[in-house]
Amino acid sequence: MIPQEYFLALASILFVIGAYGVLTRKNAIVVLMCIELMLNAANINFVTFAAFRNDTAGQVFALFSIAIAAAEVAVGLAILLNLQKMQDTINLDDIKLLRW
Amino acid sequence: MVYAEYAWLIPIMPIIGLLLVALLGKKTPEGGGYFAVGGIAASCVLGVMVAFEYLTGGSSEPISGTMTWLQLNSLLKLEMGYYIDSLSAVMLIVVTILCTLILVYSLGYMHEEGERKRRYYIEMSLFVVGMEGLVVASNYLEMFIFWEMMGLCSYLLIGFWYFKPSAAAAAKKAFLVTRIGDILFMTGIIIIFASLGTLNFRELFTMDFANPTIDMNLLGFGLFCVFGGAVGKSAQFPLHDWLPDAMEGPTTVSALIHAATMVKAGVYLVARSFPLMVQTPDVLLIVACIGGFTALFAATMALNNPNIKRVLAYSTISQLGYMFLALGAGGYMIATANFNEAAAELGNAGYMAGMFHLLNHAFFKALLFLGAGAVIHAVHTEDMRLMGGLSKKLKITSFVMLIGALSIAGIPPLSGFWSKDEVLAAVYNAGSVNVWFYLLYIMGVVTAFLTAFYMFRLWFMTFKGEGKEATHHAHEAPKSMAVPLMILAIFAFSTGFILMGPDGGLPAVIRTVNIDGQLIAGETLGLGWIEKLFTEWQTWLSIVAAVSGVGLAYMAYYKKSISVDRFATGGSKKVYDMLLARYWFPKGYDWIGMKAVYGFSLAIDLFDRKVIDGVVNAISRLAVAGSGTLRKVQTGVVQTYATVIIAALSAILFLMYLLGGLR
Repeated sequence: MIPQEYFLALASILFVIGAYGVLTRKNAIVVLMCIELMLNAANINFVTFAAFRNDTAGQVFALFSIAIAAAEVAVGLAILLNLQKMQDTINLDDIKLLRW
Repeated sequence: MVYAEYAWLIPIMPIIGLLLVALLGKKTPEGGGYFAVGGIAASCVLGVMVAFEYLTGGSSEPISGTMTWLQLNSLLKLEMGYYIDSLSAVMLIVVTILCTLILVYSLGYMHEEGERKRRYYIEMSLFVVGMEGLVVASNYLEMFIFWEMMGLCSYLLIGFWYFKPSAAAAAKKAFLVTRIGDILFMTGIIIIFASLGTLNFRELFTMDFANPTIDMNLLGFGLFCVFGGAVGKSAQFPLHDWLPDAMEGPTTVSALIHAATMVKAGVYLVARSFPLMVQTPDVLLIVACIGGFTALFAATMALNNPNIKRVLAYSTISQLGYMFLALGAGGYMIATANFNEAAAELGNAGYMAGMFHLLNHAFFKALLFLGAGAVIHAVHTEDMRLMGGLSKKLKITSFVMLIGALSIAGIPPLSGFWSKDEVLAAVYNAGSVNVWFYLLYIMGVVTAFLTAFYMFRLWFMTFKGEGKEATHHAHEAPKSMAVPLMILAIFAFSTGFILMGPDGGLPAVIRTVNIDGQLIAGETLGLGWIEKLFTEWQTWLSIVAAVSGVGLAYMAYYKKSISVDRFATGGSKKVYDMLLARYWFPKGYDWIGMKAVYGFSLAIDLFDRKVIDGVVNAISRLAVAGSGTLRKVQTGVVQTYATVIIAALSAILFLMYLLGGLR
């Protein structure tokens, strides 16, 4: 059986890749995708612990998380669509209206 | 006691009059003045009945009634009520009769004031409420309330012609200067309340002062503060300077408030506090010294003043000084008598002399002021240099003024002679206890000489000599003014004779003072006393002083055999100018106000602007500059924020790991 640490390591790597993407990429769509990566890292953690501790609550939470991620992407894409319409760009470096 | 229980009604009567004036004054003749006179006359009738009943009742026990006003805790309470003893009974007679007479006189004097009459009668009625309330008050706090009421009315009435800048300034000055005294008085009341636990006269005067828990030094300071209030109200040195300026008000106001009643409130206060003050002889010594010094000091300023009312004002200050001198000397005698009955009796004579002089002075000074009012009414000027020869045109006025002047100068057998002589005798007797009183006695005799001189200077300048331009159209005063003058003249002539009535002069009740809960009876007077009086050299000394004063004035201002102009020029000019400038007291006040206080305020202003404002501005500037720098943190780029959040979270987790928080 594959040990628990492997799953957790995979989740950590995924999370860090996602976080790195969120912090560095300029394209808002890529940032959204990176957020998906981070969410999936969390899902892997949920499922792993569910399996190893024989507790189905983790799987339930993973399902909820997927549903919320879908909703989040829908909202996020809608915002980006409007942003594109109004500002003619989705480059995050150019969107800095709320500053000094 | 039938009427005495209704003593609380005495100050209520003028309130009714006041309300009627306020409501109906516009529609009735004389601005409702008749209502004011009616209210005050009613209180006069009641007051005289109460006083007469008490004084002939034969008992020296005070009559009082109180009700609780504020219950502070189970022991301390503040009360309202009335307190009638020989002192307040005598004061009631003086105050109510004078108030009535002067109000009647006002009907004639204020006739031409038009719309302003209503205000005048309201303010006068309110003043009478204050004065009568003060006299019947049963405790210090109640007294203080009425005291302040009088202070307000004094301010309003001095500034009656408020459109005259000098009157407005005089009103302000009177208010501010007496305020110094009022604050002292209030401090004194608080100290007495704190140290003795009550303000009620009945309890205070029967208190056992041998009780070691009472701090006599503190009580002495409290009584000194109370005397400070009297100094302010009675215009004694160094708070005397408001009274001459107060002559800017109508003459009736000067007569009622600034000669006959309100300025007597200070003397009344000291006399009222007498049973407490004899516990602290030092305070009484201060009272006597201030009184004696003021008597001489104010008399000198009256010597060359050309304004008829101001001369009378200085004379009032001087005579009030006499009263304080007598009270102080008598009290000092009693305080140091150590239950020696003869000495206590002599001390009591001092107390009596002070009160007797108060009574006489109230009548003859009101007479002089009202006479001066009649003169001013006739010639429309207050400057005596523009008057002269008026005795032909103002026959009644000149005659009553002569009686007043003779009385105040101390020519026997007019009233002023008896009381002034008793004052001087009391001071001389006190000299055997403390040598300072001999000095005060000499000052008193000199004052008597000066008083006679300046009063007859006033009389000769006004009524004798040649008529001037202003006097050509002079006419005698109307009846409502002449009748009170004549009544007052009778009083001024005769109040001295009550000493010689049956049963040792006054009813024995008056001549007692309540000390330590014991009543000390005064010496019996009567014909035997008068015989003794005229064999003492002190009596003859004061008569000589008075007569020589009158004689000097006669030669200088009637015969003109002594040229007075010589003093206004040459070497003595400086003294002459100094007296006219009132020893530079107003200048001193101005200097204090304009230079010292203003300079100090400028310094404070500078400190405020530079230091306080500087610190505040520096703090705000620091905040502005700091935030100007810090706001650059807010870049608006979401990723920057996210970086900071993640970095900070990582740092926290790392630290927790290092410190073992994650295990």
